Amino acid sequence: MTIDERARELTPPTTPALRLRGISKRYGPVVASDGVDLDVHHGEIHGLLGENGAGKSTLMKILLGLVKRDSGTILRGEEPADITSPQEAVALGIGMVHQHFSLIDALTVWENVILGDTGKIDRTAACRQVEEVSRRYGLPIDPLARVDRLSAGERQRVELIKCLRRDPSVLILDEPTSVLTQAESAELFTVLRQVVRTEDRAVILISHKLAEITAATDRVTVLRKGRVVFHSETSATTPQELARQMVGRDVSLRAEGAALGLLPVDGGRPADTGTAPDTALDTAPDIETGTAPDTETGTASPAPGVVPALRLRDLTVTVDGVTALSDLSLDIAPGEILGLYGVEGNGQSVLGDLLSGLVLPTSGTVEVGGRPVELDRPGALHRAGLGIIPEDRHSSGVVLDMSIAENLVMKSLGDVSGRGFISRRKMYGIARRLAAEFNIVAPSMDTPVRSLSGGNQQRVVLARELSAGPSVLVAAQPTHGLDVGAIEDMYQRLQDAASGGVAVLLISTELEEVMALASRIAVICSGRITGVLPTGEATAERLGMLVGGVAA
Amino acid sequence: MSAADDISTILSSGIRLTVPLAFAACGEYLAERAGTMNISLEAMMLGAAFGSVATASATGSATTGLVAGVLIGLLIGFVHGNLAHRLEVNTFVVGLVLNALVLGLTSYLITISSFDSHQVSQVSVPWLRDIPLIGHPLFVERWPVYLLLLVIPLTWWLVERSRWGLELRAVGEQPQAADVTGIRVNLRRRQALLWCGALAGLGGAYLAVGEVGSFNQNMTAGRGYIVIAAVIFGAWRLGRTLLGCVLFGLADAMRLALPALGLTMNSQLLVVAPYLLALLAMLVFTTRNREPKALGQPFVRGST
Amino acid sequence: MNEREDLGSGDVLRRLLSNLNPGPSGWRTGAATILALLVALTLSSLLIAVTGGSPVASVEALFQGSMSDLTAWSSTLLYAAPLLLVAVGACVSARSGLFNIGQEGQVLIGALAAAWVGLRLAITGPLLIVVMLLAAGLAAGGWAGLSSLMYRLRGVNVVVSTLLMTFVAQQIVAYAVNTPWLLQESRIGNAIVSPQSNPLPSSALLGSIGEYPGLQINAGLIIALIAAVLIAVAISRTTWGFKITMLGRNPLAAKHAGVRVTALGGAALAVSGAFAGLAGAVLLASPVGVNRLQPGLSMNIGWDGLLVALVARNRPLAAMPVALLFGVLRSGGGFLAATGVPSFLVDVVKALLVLAFVAPPVVVALARRRRSGDRTAGARREAAPVAEEAIA
Repeated sequence: MTIDERARELTPPTTPALRLRGISKRYGPVVASDGVDLDVHHGEIHGLLGENGAGKSTLMKILLGLVKRDSGTILRGEEPADITSPQEAVALGIGMVHQHFSLIDALTVWENVILGDTGKIDRTAACRQVEEVSRRYGLPIDPLARVDRLSAGERQRVELIKCLRRDPSVLILDEPTSVLTQAESAELFTVLRQVVRTEDRAVILISHKLAEITAATDRVTVLRKGRVVFHSETSATTPQELARQMVGRDVSLRAEGAALGLLPVDGGRPADTGTAPDTALDTAPDIETGTAPDTETGTASPAPGVVPALRLRDLTVTVDGVTALSDLSLDIAPGEILGLYGVEGNGQSVLGDLLSGLVLPTSGTVEVGGRPVELDRPGALHRAGLGIIPEDRHSSGVVLDMSIAENLVMKSLGDVSGRGFISRRKMYGIARRLAAEFNIVAPSMDTPVRSLSGGNQQRVVLARELSAGPSVLVAAQPTHGLDVGAIEDMYQRLQDAASGGVAVLLISTELEEVMALASRIAVICSGRITGVLPTGEATAERLGMLVGGVAA
Repeated sequence: MSAADDISTILSSGIRLTVPLAFAACGEYLAERAGTMNISLEAMMLGAAFGSVATASATGSATTGLVAGVLIGLLIGFVHGNLAHRLEVNTFVVGLVLNALVLGLTSYLITISSFDSHQVSQVSVPWLRDIPLIGHPLFVERWPVYLLLLVIPLTWWLVERSRWGLELRAVGEQPQAADVTGIRVNLRRRQALLWCGALAGLGGAYLAVGEVGSFNQNMTAGRGYIVIAAVIFGAWRLGRTLLGCVLFGLADAMRLALPALGLTMNSQLLVVAPYLLALLAMLVFTTRNREPKALGQPFVRGST
Repeated sequence: MNEREDLGSGDVLRRLLSNLNPGPSGWRTGAATILALLVALTLSSLLIAVTGGSPVASVEALFQGSMSDLTAWSSTLLYAAPLLLVAVGACVSARSGLFNIGQEGQVLIGALAAAWVGLRLAITGPLLIVVMLLAAGLAAGGWAGLSSLMYRLRGVNVVVSTLLMTFVAQQIVAYAVNTPWLLQESRIGNAIVSPQSNPLPSSALLGSIGEYPGLQINAGLIIALIAAVLIAVAISRTTWGFKITMLGRNPLAAKHAGVRVTALGGAALAVSGAFAGLAGAVLLASPVGVNRLQPGLSMNIGWDGLLVALVARNRPLAAMPVALLFGVLRSGGGFLAATGVPSFLVDVVKALLVLAFVAPPVVVALARRRRSGDRTAGARREAAPVAEEAIA
């Protein structure tokens, strides 16, 4: 997209498609939304940028009628609108493309598409409509297919079709690219362009990725702690400015930049020009022209002669007849951070589960310190010296309704018990020490982990895992859902662990994160490693191709 | 008596024992598709059986009794729905308490009251009733039996073809996703329980004012649980669920007919057959993933 | 969850009181519970009054049958013992996240095993009763273990399988007492044989421990009390209890932390079954029981014990007073009939009481959540202390 195009876009605005005035929402003492004003115009893509917890999703839930606002007004055109249910939002022409939890696996595409409508079901008409919409926007899909058979990209298409079919004048997309490959993202943004250019709809794009916002939007609003802190035409601002507004202070550090979704300033790559972040839009054509990358594939040894701290050999995992990992091999040396990068849903979570002891491989081995681990023995990985920060800490990392102290000792009960009885004194002793060491902020060690902030919960996990003195630390999406301060803290801890000789496997979907932290990057696609390359040789383009499954 | 007569008698009683199960099964099937494992089915049937007899005695009309039974089933469905899908009390706890409450209450009330006997009238279909063997069992019945011809296709249509049913299935599979799509998950589940209550009520009332004409303590004697077993046996498909009801009804008829036939057969085995078959079905079918994924799980917005 | 049993310094009473008053919104829940109890009692009284009885006379009869003298107290305690045993077992399984509702059947299986040992094994002296109790626990534990096995192998829902297995157990007992080579009573001359076993020998009965004029302190009661205390300590103080709690609150995290999920969950279910089985043996050998195996022997002790655990919110110590209350209703219920009120009334009262204990905390938390204007997962957890037993 060129500057000219943008300029043409920014003709004097007519009545905005949607106006929010003074929207506020409190959850008890927490202010999620504090007098937010927002204008969204027809024919524009409006970026809504903010850290986790800045109030983006609360605002959108209010717009969709899922959450009731405390005060403020919503204007659709000139009319004030009172949205109290998703149906009313639809009636007002507000449509949302959800990223997670919105398609029913057991139903077919057409059934999903008409779900939420009213009136009689007409299957023939529904299928015809699906086909029509899919043709108009170039989103091929079989209306009779069951959703659980579709890929992430196809599901995204269904979401889009479902939304567009209702002919919304305002489209909201919530973090739409997190499960998409760059090619799929490119397809998405092409559709969005068409939607605003030729059909004059308004699009709100919610993201925490700076690169995406700068590349794809016409206008941007930054939220911080529930308030609008910055508003601008996208062309008139820079990623640095946006980053500063998002965090509330200057951003210069590598790690901070990565935390915000900026590529690290490294070598000859200037990051302050505003065009630096390679985006889905820009890289898409490269895939077609096919710049051949020369990457090492398969098992790249970190350094010859060193026994790898963690060695994964030919791991294959089949879940319900679907191969989630196939012949995955990786070596990680002591003191090294290896980034495993890929789009969500390509086997990373299965690998995380495997290294948590939750699933067993169909074939292949895991070696820690040169010795194979008997994976079918409960707790074997932990005893072998492998610590892990699981991807979804709520589901397997912590027990939310047990106390901080209990969560800190749960993997090493032997240390706090004798003859089967738990010594509370010992338990609290260990807990207090770890809490101090890892900055866990809580009223007492008896506090249930549920009532802690995400950052503190993550510190509990980290403290427990590192306190066992592991030789390997696996961090699976360790910064998901954390605010910038907590992310920086996490980065620092991971780097400290590595410089202390721990081998770190960083599983991440954030390109910027692996670029900033890892010394080597392995790319995973459809459960296999498509390439391993030193970070110095990695560029967004090369990684992008590997992520798309285009191996050398 | 000839063998044909024996078979006809067993068929006849088998059908009568199947009918209450089949009504309730249509209800339970729909409730389970929406994600509620409704064990207060027993309370619905028992309460309705008592209510129908009491009302029939008071008004002198068995048909009014039948209607009263449906209303009582609806009431229990309403209570269960609000406790489980509004106040979020565990659905099994609600079921246990309601079953205990209704059993205690009906036992208490029947001990201190006496009711006149009333029965709904019989329909005899000309020509067809003369078909040998099955003619009499199938075509000389109390009229509510023929309501099944309406209820079964209607239940099927509701679940598989109506928008309401599409939403019920969505709610039973992935309530979080359904919610985001704008479906009121707990409302749909409460509505499903009303349908379930009405049909279980009809089944219980049919048992009382249809077949027997009176009420006795713990009259349903676990039929609600048999229906739950039938839905499991049917792997959450209407046709197979009803087939299960027929099997279980016939097994019961066999058990009752054994002494008259002079056969010595293990009657305990026949009593236990529904439960064993349901357990067996679960052991065999679970991997096929027919069970609604959110069955028995409460829905609260914001939790996953 | 902070209100775990803590037996450290004789603060049992405080703990028991705090059970009625848990969490930050304690006084509201407490007030709502008291209100709900009043409503439950009012409804029960209304029921009696409307049906022509006298509520006052009914309460008097209940009191007379359960607490008026030592004989009445004995009967109350004798009923409370198996109820408490069942409830303690229910606490274990519910806390491990495997909700066992098949206690009624497990009681029967326990009684069957105990009766078989008592009638068929030539053991003399006090050893007999010990073997009976052991056999009952093992058999019912194994019976409940089957449900666990079905869950682990094929993912069969534990609630459903334990429920269905109850009816299977009933028919097994019925079969046993209808089959001469199993346990049907011996034919004497041409007398008609009933579906029941021979009476147990006197050495197989649980007599009073110690001599008190008129009062019977049954060994079953002692066992039940010890079991409740032991399980309370085990849950709050041992690594076993820690793992059970972890398993119940987050099975994935437990597995991740190296807990042998399959074995531990199976054990919890088996333990809960074993306690129900013990209750069956205690009931069989108790002076308030019939002292012979009959299909109706369990007298809904299994269902009631489960309700006791629900009211006690799965805390073994809190189950003690609740079991006593249910014992009062049971032994008092027999005296109701004399006042013209059917003894089924106590079943109604019991169900209403359970409702009164179960609903208010949920309602209070829900009301608070509605006030704060949004529904969050956190509020839900506070809201549902009863519902939190993850249904496997």
